[in-house]
Amino acid sequence: MNKVLRNPWAYALFVIPALLMYIAIYILPLLSSLQHSFTNWNGINEATFNGLDNFKKAFTDDKFWIAFKNNIIFVLFSAFVQIPLIIFISMVISGVTKNLNFYKTTVFLPSILSTAVVGTLWQFIYHPDVGLINQLLRACGLESWTHAWLGEETTAFLSILITNSWQWFGFYIVLLLAAIFSVPKELLEAAEMDGAIGFKRSWFITIPIIRPVILVIMLLAITGAMNSLDIVLIMTYGEPFGSSEVMGTYLYKQAYKFNDFGYASAISIIIFAFTVLVTVIFQWIAKRTEEVEH
Amino acid sequence: MKKITMALTMIVAMSLAATVGCSNKEAAPTDGTGTPKAAEFNVSLRHINVRDTSKPHQDILLEAVKAAESALPGVKYELDGVEDTVNRDTKLKAEMAAGNPPIIFDLFGGPDTQNYQKAGHLLDLTPILADLGLSDKFINLGEFTVDGKVYGLPRSGYTEGVFYNKTMFADAGVAVPKTWDEFLAVCEALKGKNIVPIASGTGGPDGWVVNMIANSLFVREAGKEVQEGFVNGTSKWNDPKVIESFKKLETLKTKGYLDKSALALKYAEGQAKFYQGGAAMTMDGSWAVSAFEDKEKSKIAGNVGFFNFPEVGGPGDGYINGGFSNGYGFSNHANENELKGIKEFIKQYYTEALQKKALLTANDFPAMKLQDTSGTTGVLNEVLSVTNEAKGIFTAFDSVVQPKVKVTLETTMQELIGGKVTPEKAAEKMQKIQDEANAEK
Repeated sequence: MNKVLRNPWAYALFVIPALLMYIAIYILPLLSSLQHSFTNWNGINEATFNGLDNFKKAFTDDKFWIAFKNNIIFVLFSAFVQIPLIIFISMVISGVTKNLNFYKTTVFLPSILSTAVVGTLWQFIYHPDVGLINQLLRACGLESWTHAWLGEETTAFLSILITNSWQWFGFYIVLLLAAIFSVPKELLEAAEMDGAIGFKRSWFITIPIIRPVILVIMLLAITGAMNSLDIVLIMTYGEPFGSSEVMGTYLYKQAYKFNDFGYASAISIIIFAFTVLVTVIFQWIAKRTEEVEH
Repeated sequence: MKKITMALTMIVAMSLAATVGCSNKEAAPTDGTGTPKAAEFNVSLRHINVRDTSKPHQDILLEAVKAAESALPGVKYELDGVEDTVNRDTKLKAEMAAGNPPIIFDLFGGPDTQNYQKAGHLLDLTPILADLGLSDKFINLGEFTVDGKVYGLPRSGYTEGVFYNKTMFADAGVAVPKTWDEFLAVCEALKGKNIVPIASGTGGPDGWVVNMIANSLFVREAGKEVQEGFVNGTSKWNDPKVIESFKKLETLKTKGYLDKSALALKYAEGQAKFYQGGAAMTMDGSWAVSAFEDKEKSKIAGNVGFFNFPEVGGPGDGYINGGFSNGYGFSNHANENELKGIKEFIKQYYTEALQKKALLTANDFPAMKLQDTSGTTGVLNEVLSVTNEAKGIFTAFDSVVQPKVKVTLETTMQELIGGKVTPEKAAEKMQKIQDEANAEK
């Protein structure tokens, strides 16, 4: 056995299949997108080289910037609304002594549903005529508060953000609960004896200890927000008037509705570059705060 | 180590045995009577009969497939049902881009057919039609014809017009309107009775729904030649007559005649609103007759009427929107066996008997010339007679203009009824995109 492990070909045997797959489904499409981003191509006929035209178009395209702005809002919503709420709820649930598994299962349930199911389910909830929200409002005599939630500019994108949060809340909460329960009891007891109870204990003891998990969750939420596509396509298709468009849906439409695969490829490269940038900034901030704390 | 070597040897030996077993050519199997059994082969078939309301279409397809499988030994048609918009806008496009479309697939006439033909993915059906004696059996193959050759076959035809709830019209004391002013008066009377005058589900990807109204309006105002004119440059979207048509569409929204939820609903939801009795009228195609007359789902089955879009006093008055753009295309990359499968499918599917069946059970307009069209009932009768009475048929604009113009009109009309653009700005935007698309030719 040791002989086998000393042979570099043995390692290659295990690594090469995965590497080939990675190249086939990630590297090659990326290079292909990069190549097509410099062309005028309808996806079917011959592509013609057009230099930086597609990138120039993206930077002067108002609708692309709306999509870009929405991605930023998506990220900020994830980082500053969704994550703090998740931490808060996790702390509350971790303090529950009775029926803990029931709460854990209940909050986790939405994340086992596919996005298509979640999107369709919430479409019913937001339905202007028979939707749960409008029916409740009407029952309370608040007819004037009713909206065509997914059909109005002011409410469509927010409705998606809420649905997306609902879907992923449980997944992140269960991750955080696992981290919270791994905090040594002796430490918490010692803190309690020193007077750190309730909010103080959470803020000064638990959160700093589970910080690595929080950072992972933030990274997942941010990259998820950057790559969001399915939930928007299902719920609003980026409408009304492009107000709920994100870069992913805009890319999709340019490719499959407008047959402009060259421009769509350029947008995909911009999304890639931007996601890398956001991730690097996030990692840098995470590292800096870690250094400061130490 | 010995164990590992042994295990690896066993795996390799078993894999080799399996491979040899697969490629080992034994004596040809027989069908039980001693006659050699034909080699089996598959033919992929993409259809769009996935909705509940498509069941009659699916039954007809299955009947043809079964007949073809009996007639051509060895063939097995692999059915793949995909929602129509997903197939047209996403899946088929991606397959065409990769150069591997299904062998038989749902295809739209007009620009879709032209693009795929140009890329060399569509099979020239002209010799097959001649062989099967079908060359002159279709009413119109224009939308599937490129440079005199046929690259697709329509399943059925359609016309578009206004479907209405007869009870609601009677309750509101209104008659079928002939002119635009009468139409507005009908809408006003219905609104006065707290009835939503026009149902429409045109939100999200279904911008094409409101374009059924827009299309009829700009053809009414500017004549049916205006559509070809957009493409060849002889007419413009910002011509006053086209702008007038946009103003008329805007009026329907600003006066509250078009359902206020139109932009929040998808096509099927808007359609359901009408057949559930939530609105008095809807603009739709003859393909919707099945849904309206479905006694299990529709609350207004047997109580639906149909009229041609009102006249506006323009050169396009009296015409009705219709065509033969929905059909099947066939892959140009089919091998010899698959070609046999294609030919047999065409032979079994495009028959007078099945076309008649489609007319009676699925309320489909026949795409082939039928000797006998008797037996139709309900609103389909009205659709047929209104179509016969029309001055002529004009093709839907999306079979004429380029895909990017089609999509831009969808989003622009959504913006127009949402109050985001004025009719003048909408027309300007359309002309800009039209110029870009024309320059790309």
